[in-house]
Amino acid sequence: MTPKIRLQNVSKSFAVGPKSIRTLEDVNLSLKGGDFVTLVGPSGCGKSTLFNILVGLTAPDQGGELYIDGALQPADHLLGRVAFMPQRDMLMPWRTVLDNAILAAEIDGVPKAEARKRALASIDRFGLRGFENHYPNQLSGGMRQRVALMRTFMFEREIMLLDEPFGALDALTRALMQRWLLDVWEGAKRTVLFITHDIDEAIFLGDRVLVMSARPGHIKTELQVPLPRPRHPDVITSPTFVDLKRTLLTAVEDESRKAFAAINQQQLGSEKF
Amino acid sequence: MMARIMMAMRGLSKVATQLIALLSLMLVWEVTTHLFQISEDKLPSLSVVLATAWSGRVALLDAVLTTVFEALIGLVAGIAFGVLSGIAFSSFRLLERMLLPYFIASQAVPIIAFGAIIIIWFGNGIASKAVIAFYLSFFPVAVNTLGGIRRVSQDEIGLLRTFGASRLTILWKLQLPTALPPIFTAIRIGAGLALVGAIVGEWFGASRGLGVVLLTAMFDNQVPQLWAAILLTGLTGTVLFWVVVALQRKIAWWQAEV
Repeated sequence: MTPKIRLQNVSKSFAVGPKSIRTLEDVNLSLKGGDFVTLVGPSGCGKSTLFNILVGLTAPDQGGELYIDGALQPADHLLGRVAFMPQRDMLMPWRTVLDNAILAAEIDGVPKAEARKRALASIDRFGLRGFENHYPNQLSGGMRQRVALMRTFMFEREIMLLDEPFGALDALTRALMQRWLLDVWEGAKRTVLFITHDIDEAIFLGDRVLVMSARPGHIKTELQVPLPRPRHPDVITSPTFVDLKRTLLTAVEDESRKAFAAINQQQLGSEKF
Repeated sequence: MMARIMMAMRGLSKVATQLIALLSLMLVWEVTTHLFQISEDKLPSLSVVLATAWSGRVALLDAVLTTVFEALIGLVAGIAFGVLSGIAFSSFRLLERMLLPYFIASQAVPIIAFGAIIIIWFGNGIASKAVIAFYLSFFPVAVNTLGGIRRVSQDEIGLLRTFGASRLTILWKLQLPTALPPIFTAIRIGAGLALVGAIVGEWFGASRGLGVVLLTAMFDNQVPQLWAAILLTGLTGTVLFWVVVALQRKIAWWQAEV
């Protein structure tokens, strides 16, 4: 089966003054249609750069290739192809919940009235019934995130990239949102790549967990998550889960230590001048 | 005693306290002029000023309306030009680099220095006053439009681009709404400047308006009439300010005033 999305030898360097810093090195990954894949890695490993490449905001260095449904994609063809949800919800304070939810669809060319109708039809699924005409400043953090997710889902693309969507939420809300996200995903069957810092979250949500290395980032480890779906909250105490967690913790900690050492070295280096 | 009055006033509504403050000020004015027997040439009592204003109410109202009309035409043109140039500067860095210094320099020349030229060019009717009002009000609007648009982060622009948004869509749906609160702040400043501009324009040559009333009263040594015109000018400026604030609260309500 042709993968929904495939990256081959994707690298990215940025010029910082006279030096060039390599943030990504030969990233290879592929997602089948309907996959839910999670990505963990130390801070500064180039996750955001990777996402910017996937949504078309940044072009990869020469030699890297990106395929959707088997077709090679030039970087500037990717804008508008992938539904992206950034870390910050970026809701517009002057738009109501409903109008924030339809923003992407509206920009995509769906007439406003039609988009609103569609949004109202699925507003229950996002737990926002009764809040259609509220403004973002009247919402809790969890609700704002749901509006941002609704905006992403309403931008009907087969591939969704979620960048730490629950990172700023408290543990309880986060657990609720994870279960809710799986429900919505199982209803909509999209291909999802989900970035997180939280290993529990990565295992609980994903079919597969990818671990990124310290900079320059590449996919270091890939683990299948053989837990049945739909997943129940108590799955996190099962032996399979705990085993996976142990393996992942070791892998991520290794990389975090390297990233930390690299930062220290950089600072030492800059102190010399 | 004072403390007790303050305590009692805390329970009153905002309007009531403001009304009390106003009445006290008026009372102080009235009493002072009588108590110290200040000559009418220096400071006439409030009652005399109000009586003068009342007896000349038709002419004064005409003056206020004339000046406000001139100021508003200039202000509206200033807002339009200011917003457009702010957008142009934010879209084309080169344009900003070339023209913004001249925008700033234009504001460094006091309007008094070339008011006469404006009258020669635009006549002594409404147009010349509106031009001066425009000249004074476009600058803050241009600067705040530019600043407001620059407030939008690259992340926000990036998100809209991933939705497939064009530059025009990004401007219309993201950058301009973000810039709206600072634009309104600039309009508040611009409204006051436009009023000053219209009055100054009238000084250089006009037959009607608050500026004419002020000038005539001064040359004819009609001090109560002068004070009536001063109070009316202050009142007009205040009303203009609050109209803009009311509009801001209605249109750009999502951000507290800066």
